[in-house]
Amino acid sequence: MAFTGNFMCTSFKVGLLKADHDFTNATGHTFKLALYDNNASFTAATTDYTATDEVGDSGSYAAGGGTLTNVTPTSSSTTALTDFADLTFTSATITARGALIYNTTTGGGSGTTDTVAVLDFGSDKTSTAGDFQIIFPTADASNAIIRIA
Amino acid sequence: MEIGPVGVRTTQNRGFTSEELAEQCADKIISISDTADPVIQQQARAFKDRVANLVKVYLDQAVQSDRTTVYNALQEAGQPQLAELVRRI
Repeated sequence: MAFTGNFMCTSFKVGLLKADHDFTNATGHTFKLALYDNNASFTAATTDYTATDEVGDSGSYAAGGGTLTNVTPTSSSTTALTDFADLTFTSATITARGALIYNTTTGGGSGTTDTVAVLDFGSDKTSTAGDFQIIFPTADASNAIIRIA
Repeated sequence: MEIGPVGVRTTQNRGFTSEELAEQCADKIISISDTADPVIQQQARAFKDRVANLVKVYLDQAVQSDRTTVYNALQEAGQPQLAELVRRI
């Protein structure tokens, strides 16, 4: 099964209403981003990180992916939004079709792997002994990575 | 609830250049609306170019400065040839 576009996992939406996720910079939860090939089979029902079909370790990329830097949620007009700093894996040979964002400290706990969102790159992206960079969209009401209108 | 589109940039057998990073930095700092007045868009693009050029200058300095640090670390570790190689990159 292949990637079929970007979507938020249903368990994340429920978690938001239970105050399980804190995107505050520095004091919030720790979110990670893992990369996958196009054999990955994520659906809205996916609840946890999986190593199945994750890209192999290379350069600064290791199983589980990289830690994201939270940008404290804000609002633009009536839309609430949050953002992450761009993430770069260096000296890496990677071919990835998409990614999974997950929370490793859900509800203030530790070692959790609760999913947030699945990201579809649209096509395979490859770095060869180089940098593989995830660029998050402009943090505004129309483009931010996570928005609640 | 909505989710925004992420982009991916990759390199082959090298890292990002200071020009590439400076452009990315300027993109983060300045966003130009397609619906803005054309004159304002033009001014914003000119300003964005100036920001990118300035960021590039400082990125280049950061790279050179870091190489100095690496050069000295390698010298202190008894690797003068390697240090010289790094200095000449």
